Amino acid sequence: MKDELAKRLVQGLKDAGINFVTYLPETRLSQIVPLIRDDPEMELIAAASEQEAVTIAAGATLGGKQAAVYMENTGIYVSAYSLLTIGKQLGVPILLVVGYLGGVPDQRNSFLYSTIGKHTIPTLEGLGIEHMLLNDGDGLEGKINDAVRAANALRAPFALLFAGEFSV
Amino acid sequence: MIRHECLELLAAKMTDHLVVTSQSGQRIEWSHLSKHEGNLLVGMMGCAVGVATGLALALPHRKVIALDSDGSVLLSLFNLATLGNLRPKNLVIYVFDNGVYSGSRISYPTATAGRTDLAAMARAAGIANAHTIRDLEEFRNQGLGALAQNQLGFLVCKVEESLLHREIPRPNTDLAENKYTFVRYLERTEGKTIPFVGRG
Repeated sequence: MKDELAKRLVQGLKDAGINFVTYLPETRLSQIVPLIRDDPEMELIAAASEQEAVTIAAGATLGGKQAAVYMENTGIYVSAYSLLTIGKQLGVPILLVVGYLGGVPDQRNSFLYSTIGKHTIPTLEGLGIEHMLLNDGDGLEGKINDAVRAANALRAPFALLFAGEFSV
Repeated sequence: MIRHECLELLAAKMTDHLVVTSQSGQRIEWSHLSKHEGNLLVGMMGCAVGVATGLALALPHRKVIALDSDGSVLLSLFNLATLGNLRPKNLVIYVFDNGVYSGSRISYPTATAGRTDLAAMARAAGIANAHTIRDLEEFRNQGLGALAQNQLGFLVCKVEESLLHREIPRPNTDLAENKYTFVRYLERTEGKTIPFVGRG
C-alpha cells in the first residue's frame, strides 16, 4: 500500500471516531501501525491473539471508546468465537480492519493464501457479520464512516476487507 | 475454601467497582450475591479477562475486577502475555481454580489439577503481582488487599469443587439487558455518553 493511502486510511478511522485500536500485524496494511501508534488521539494495544483483540476492543467500547481491531483475515477464523459471543450475542459494535489475503483482488495472492481468502466472506456471512470490500481509495473516508455508523446502529462488528490497491 | 465464601467477602467490598464475570458457577453465585449495576455477567468462557482489560484501559480511574475460572484462563492463556506487558494498574483478576471442568457435570480435571501452576505462568508472562491463595484467611488479607493496591493483580484462588451454584436460581437478566444496565450505570457515574448507544 502506498504511504499516502495508509495515511488516508488512518485519518479516515480518526474522522469516523475510532480512538482505540487493538491489533495483530499482518503484511498488507501494516503501515498503519506506526501511524496509529504515533497519533496522540488514538490508543494502540498489541494483542497476542485476534480472539483477545476482539474482547479487549469490546471492553473498551463498553467503557466509552470507539474501537477497531486490525487483523489479517486469518484472524476472522481465530476470533470467530469472540466475534459471535461478545460481538454478536452481547451486541458490541467493533470495526474490523482486515487485510484480505488470498481473495481474488489480493495483488499478492498465491497458493499460500488462496484457501484462506476463499473462505473469508462465507465465514463472515456464516457469522452474520456485515462486511464491505475495498479495492481502492475511492471514497475511502466515507466508506469507513459508513462502516462505523452501521456497526453502532447494528450493535455488532462490521468488517472492512482491504485488497486491491491496499494489497500492493 | 469454597468459592462462594470468597465471593461473599468480595461482594461486601464493592462500591463503584466494575465486575466482569466469565461463564462458570461463579457467574451464578456472583449474580445472586451482588445486584450491583456495575456487574457485567459475560456468559462465555475465555472472554472475561479480555473484556475487563478493555474496560480497564478505557477507564483507567475505575477499579475493574474480573472473576474467572481455571478452565476459562486455560482457554485464553494469551491474556497472560498481553497483560504482562500492558499491566493496567486498575485491574484485579480473581481466578477461582477448582481443578475441574465442573460445568461438564463429570468434573473432568483441568491441567491445574496436574502440574500446571497458573500463578507461576502469570509471573513468567510478566505479571509481578500474581499469587496463589489457598485459604480464606489468605483471601481476606492478600485477596481483598489487592483491591487497594495500585497495580495489576492476578490471584489464583485454590477452591474445592462446590456445586452450590446449582442450588441457586440462574440469573434471569438477558445479556442485552445486563449490557445496557451496565452501560447506563457507566454513563451516569462517568458523566458521559457511551458513543455507540446513540439516539433512535
